[in-house]
Amino acid sequence: MNPAPANPKMARALRVSGLLLVIGLLIELISLHFNHPLSFLGFMFVGGGLIVLGVLVYLWALVSLAPSDSSTP
Amino acid sequence: MSLVPQPAVFLYLLIIVTCVVLAFIVARPAITASREGKMLAFVGFLVLPVFCGFWGGTEHFERSKQTSFCLSCHIMEPWGRSLHVDDPAHIAAAHFQNHRVPPDEACYTCHTDYAMYGTMRTKLHGLRHVYMYYIGKPMNPIHLYSPYNNRECLHCHLGSRSFEDPTHVAMMDDLKSNNLSCISAGCHDTVHKVDTLAQFKSWSSQQ
Repeated sequence: MNPAPANPKMARALRVSGLLLVIGLLIELISLHFNHPLSFLGFMFVGGGLIVLGVLVYLWALVSLAPSDSSTP
Repeated sequence: MSLVPQPAVFLYLLIIVTCVVLAFIVARPAITASREGKMLAFVGFLVLPVFCGFWGGTEHFERSKQTSFCLSCHIMEPWGRSLHVDDPAHIAAAHFQNHRVPPDEACYTCHTDYAMYGTMRTKLHGLRHVYMYYIGKPMNPIHLYSPYNNRECLHCHLGSRSFEDPTHVAMMDDLKSNNLSCISAGCHDTVHKVDTLAQFKSWSSQQ
């Protein structure tokens, strides 16, 4: 790997996305520990919602903030 | 809430690994400038979380079929006890105690919808149950949203030797078309008699 300084906006988007994903995954992890309708709902709507949001932020950052590759013709 | 006895250990590990990958990239976003870093970010931010979500959803979906899941709501407690009634005339209890339905998935086996997308429909009903329990007003007494469909009984019994006796054969068309319910008065009408539970002894497996 040859890391170069990341675009600050991209780095911020990655931080937001990563935070949403980690919280969503932790909610999923906790919900899996219980066998109850509320844990199912927590997984579906809270954890799942955060994961979807985190993925969307990442995809948006890829499309909008990632520097274009100058080597591409 | 009951703790799940056999957690999906690999799913737990995968979630933890995903969190570690995410934390690593968030702490050092500069690595995404390289090709390998971009690939790692793609896996960490998209592939792994989506995979964990689907796997977790499947796990929850399967667990929601368990008898203990249905009976985890306090309001269902008498229905759970009705499975242990020591009386063969109670068909729910007889099915449960004689393992005619899997005891671990007793509620789901009889109350699912054996038609296309039946499992999804059953789960949507489950969401309605949760809404009524926590936000709305639960039915009093609890009853089915629609009359019990003979299709759910025939799913297992149709074609079985003990079922195809002259009595059932004579009324087969009416049973198949739901013109005559299996749980009609005079037939198999004792299902979950929760109001008379105190009159019966309780049976439970020694295992």
